[in-house]
Amino acid sequence: MRPYRAMARIAWRNALAYRVPFLMSLSMLVFNLVAMFALWQALLGDGNSLAGFTWPQMKAYLLVSFFTNCLVSTFTDFAMASRIRSGAVAVDLVKPVDYQKGRFAEALGFALLETAAAATVCAVVLVAFGGVPLPPPGRLALFVASLAAVVPLKFLIVYMCGLICFWTQNYLGISLARVAVSGILSGATVPLAFFPAWLRHVAEALPFQAVTNTPAMLFLGRSPGLPGALAVAVQLLWVVALWWLARRLWHVAVRRLTVHGG
Amino acid sequence: MAPTAALVEASGLVKEFRRPRKAPGLAGALRHLVTRRFDVHRAVDGIDLRVDEGESVAYVGPNGAGKSTTVKLLTGILVPTAGEVRVAGVVPHRDRVANARNVGVVFGQRTQLWWDLPVQDTFELLRDMYRIPAADYRRSMDRLCEVLEIGSLLPVLARKLSLGQRMRADLAAALLHEPRIVYLDEPTIGLDVSVKDRVRAFLRQLVADGTTVLLTTHDVGDIEEVCRRIVVVDEGRIRHDGPVDVLRDTLAGHSTVRFQLAAPAPLELIRQHLPDAEVSAGAGERDLVVRFDRTLRPAGAVAAAVMGLVEVRDLRIDDEGVADLIRRLHDRDSPAALTGAG
Repeated sequence: MRPYRAMARIAWRNALAYRVPFLMSLSMLVFNLVAMFALWQALLGDGNSLAGFTWPQMKAYLLVSFFTNCLVSTFTDFAMASRIRSGAVAVDLVKPVDYQKGRFAEALGFALLETAAAATVCAVVLVAFGGVPLPPPGRLALFVASLAAVVPLKFLIVYMCGLICFWTQNYLGISLARVAVSGILSGATVPLAFFPAWLRHVAEALPFQAVTNTPAMLFLGRSPGLPGALAVAVQLLWVVALWWLARRLWHVAVRRLTVHGG
Repeated sequence: MAPTAALVEASGLVKEFRRPRKAPGLAGALRHLVTRRFDVHRAVDGIDLRVDEGESVAYVGPNGAGKSTTVKLLTGILVPTAGEVRVAGVVPHRDRVANARNVGVVFGQRTQLWWDLPVQDTFELLRDMYRIPAADYRRSMDRLCEVLEIGSLLPVLARKLSLGQRMRADLAAALLHEPRIVYLDEPTIGLDVSVKDRVRAFLRQLVADGTTVLLTTHDVGDIEEVCRRIVVVDEGRIRHDGPVDVLRDTLAGHSTVRFQLAAPAPLELIRQHLPDAEVSAGAGERDLVVRFDRTLRPAGAVAAAVMGLVEVRDLRIDDEGVADLIRRLHDRDSPAALTGAG
């Protein structure tokens, strides 16, 4: 544990060294949040409900979605991709730490900062726009557990996308594609309840929905058919499966590594 | 003498890279999407290398000879296409973590310092990464701070260091866990003379203390001052392997006379008259370079022979050192590049 604790700690300190780009990308998410609030308030503000969402519920959904968007976002993938492209990954490979666990430790360090920032924004929005219905304590505990599970889950999605750099040597396109695909399939852009049935079934069979849909539904008490604890168990199952898949992918990817020059 | 347990054992080591072959321009890029064609490049082509505990080996050769690729195979960064490697009994690319504990690596052109944090933070991270006990860490740090004079650099952000300071900090970072073998990939590249001297003195001390060192370099000073053994590699193959001082002695028997002639040099004619010498053109068409074994004929005889054939404006006699070997190695067109090395 000691090496990984140290890596998480230094990642956190490094994130503080990069607070300006961090705040910039956070502000992008905040603008997006404000726009979504304005949009949904116009649709639901006068007491309407759509696909079973009332305005207070939608506010809660948007905040949870914002929170999960903030977690494991800016740092992990671009930092990793640029090290693979520049060959600096060579230095990571001669350290006595497992590459995947090492990157995860760093992602945890960043996530600390991301959580603090996202929680602050949520608090400010709650004050500005009024409260949202809080779930009962038992469900709230499950919600927090599911939010915690989002960190490894999202890390693994981001990490595997980063590994694609070993093939493409270009990351921007992959990153944009990942954000677009996971934005839709996670329910971060629009709740899954608004999807046509076939797309909803597709989304429910994929890991992305466990990133935003699962914690949001837990918060709202709307996990259809699934008791809350089971929803969290499904998240954890995805974590285990993706952890294993990422390992396989890494073993293939690292064989492709070419580092030229010193 | 150092004990003779094999620390590094590589046999039949091969590394191939695939390079996409693209025609220029948009048409070429589009065509590459449909018919992907690749050139296979063998950067390392069947290398056998054994390094014993306590040895200091210079691994030299021209750019693109496969030096850095070999180091990356030995450190487990790259996975070999074929062949086997063992370093201290560990297959580096299969068990990276175990291998990392035994080795230290310095890449002259890369840093392992955390760029935006004080140097001290990197050292503390490494202490935890390698699980170095607190007492050992203090002892190690004290020693490194003293010999590399990095004590004053500890609170400085890594990106604010000069190249020489960065290299010293990087050396310390690679040695903090007291590895059994240190790989140094061009450790003095870009450094000024005084910093080079300090780094070399430090490396000499390291070797004297029993650490195994393998360094790649283009710098003759690194070789002559630090290493006892030299391995010359070109086009992915080992071309020479032996003690540095033997190489120096062999070369010491050779001299080179550089002539400046009044007219373009008639190379064939001169070769006929000096059959046991190596006759080649110099930089200009009126330059002539004759390399010969001094034990067979004195420089005066060579000069006289040439002056009897053509009009000589100027001449200079050079004795050879390791530098000349490297220089001729870098000139790949010279077929006799290694005659002096035996």
